[in-house]
Amino acid sequence: MTTTATQDPQGRPGAGADPEGRRSWERAPGAALAVLPGVLSSALAWTDAHRTRFALPDDVLEPHTQVNATLKPLGELAQLGSTIRRTTAPGTPEHERAGDLVAYAWEQVHEGALLLELLRAEPFAAYPYEIYAAFAGYGLRHEGFEALARPLTATRAWAHTEQHANRQLGLINSERRVGVVTHTDAGGVLSRTWLGGLSEPWMFEGPSGYALTHTVFHLTDWGRMPDRVPEKIDGYLRTWLPAWADGCLESGQWDLTGELLAVAASLPGPAPAELLDAVWPVLADVQHPTGCVPETGVPVQDPAPDPYPFIDCYHSTLVTAFAAALSLRSLRGNGERGETGGAAPGRERHTP
Amino acid sequence: MDQKHASSPLAGAVHDLATEVVLALRSGDHLATVCGAAGIDEENRTGIAAVRVIGADLLLPSVLYGRHPHPGDVAVLDRAVREFPPKPDAPAATAWSHWHMISTLQRMAPPAPGATAPGTYAEPDAAWLEEAPWQAFTHQLSVLAPLAVPAAPSAVQRAAANRAVDLSRGFVRAVRRRDWLQAAGAGRWLAATGGEPATLGLDRGLDFVELMGGHDPRVTLHVRAARLMAEARAR
Repeated sequence: MTTTATQDPQGRPGAGADPEGRRSWERAPGAALAVLPGVLSSALAWTDAHRTRFALPDDVLEPHTQVNATLKPLGELAQLGSTIRRTTAPGTPEHERAGDLVAYAWEQVHEGALLLELLRAEPFAAYPYEIYAAFAGYGLRHEGFEALARPLTATRAWAHTEQHANRQLGLINSERRVGVVTHTDAGGVLSRTWLGGLSEPWMFEGPSGYALTHTVFHLTDWGRMPDRVPEKIDGYLRTWLPAWADGCLESGQWDLTGELLAVAASLPGPAPAELLDAVWPVLADVQHPTGCVPETGVPVQDPAPDPYPFIDCYHSTLVTAFAAALSLRSLRGNGERGETGGAAPGRERHTP
Repeated sequence: MDQKHASSPLAGAVHDLATEVVLALRSGDHLATVCGAAGIDEENRTGIAAVRVIGADLLLPSVLYGRHPHPGDVAVLDRAVREFPPKPDAPAATAWSHWHMISTLQRMAPPAPGATAPGTYAEPDAAWLEEAPWQAFTHQLSVLAPLAVPAAPSAVQRAAANRAVDLSRGFVRAVRRRDWLQAAGAGRWLAATGGEPATLGLDRGLDFVELMGGHDPRVTLHVRAARLMAEARAR
């Protein structure tokens, strides 16, 4: 599912005052690893403690029900929960908790039966398939759903669904997960995205930022397959992510910051440790003691258990947990994932 | 003095001087006198202070077009150097700016035999720049943008050349912050030293910075300087 988190429509930080150096930019090797385990476990603990808020209402299939407040959060719980489950080591509390959350989400969709009902109600829409694919990619499948989806996804109409390029990559990834032939080649779609076009980095703002992060999530199956990132995009991202993340921190776009960190941790080759060490401590400070992270804005200092409305923090909290799990894998797995060689791996080539 | 955009007489004088430098850069007219056009002479204290702000960029048209500077401009710059020496505890950027004004005068207008030179001034230290995080590095380099000229080697210029990717990130950050002056200064350095990542799109970026921030003639000055240097590099 594509996120449409709230953000400043212009993605523009507060102009006017120019507090150069208001934050410490000192490099602190190991700073990310120092905070990441705590960030991950508390974000998951908050999610677990609020799992009933993801529960689907009885009238979920009725036309008046808001998908963005029901199926979308649940699909995200399944998607990000299953990625965290697969990214963490078996036997750890985080692994167990993430598995519990996916099982809970699967229970909420009646082991897929409710998704079949949804598909019967909206057979020509893509989103039931995308939600289903989040489960299918994890091995949770429903025969009846796939029986109905199979002919639909083999149509010309399905192959020509009109949507943004990054969403189309999402559909391709869903098809891969379900195990059907993809309706088109991912490479061609990638080249039509903002990221694939290697856009001028100074034109980055909220909407292009979310398009970019989702391009990488769909391309890499939510961080599982870093090697699918082409070399030139890897270099482009390693070059510009620091500038974008800095801007998101400055303008309090915590949700997008988390997504950019997840992107950074989904790159092939060595972890971009300098970036992770610079940004994670800031996001850790924004995280509330109960584990939740606000989507945007000045973090509240209130120690009360629910400082933000659920709808304004569930996504950023899930994203924080997801990005933290990927970052831990990336930073700890440097040796295993192999050095690509060279002094500045992946960094973009300079102009001649 | 045009003070439409100025908040103080000094700011007005800086605005006027920068506007005249831009006009001279556009016309390439080596006979132009920047200070004369801005109504500033050696006796104008506010004007001299404004020259201290503009720094060696007062002679930028001559530097970039390889022509002799106007004697009136040389005299005012010389006066600014003598009247506003940095205090011992001045920020490093002030020391660098002072050093650069002196070295520019020595290069562009060596004193006539018998005349007294403004004195020597040791090249300041730049080790702190090598260590600065990329955000602070770009901010400082932007303040020191007058040092971004051809054939004027300095430790600052070497630092800029060594950290082109950091400077490019700083350019992106400055555009996002709508800090056009910083963006223009960073872009000028990149045009002077090269080495920016190909995807930066510096040319279009500088166009954008000029169109958005060009109401400040200091922004236009840096962008024009960047273009002239980029053209010279391309030749």
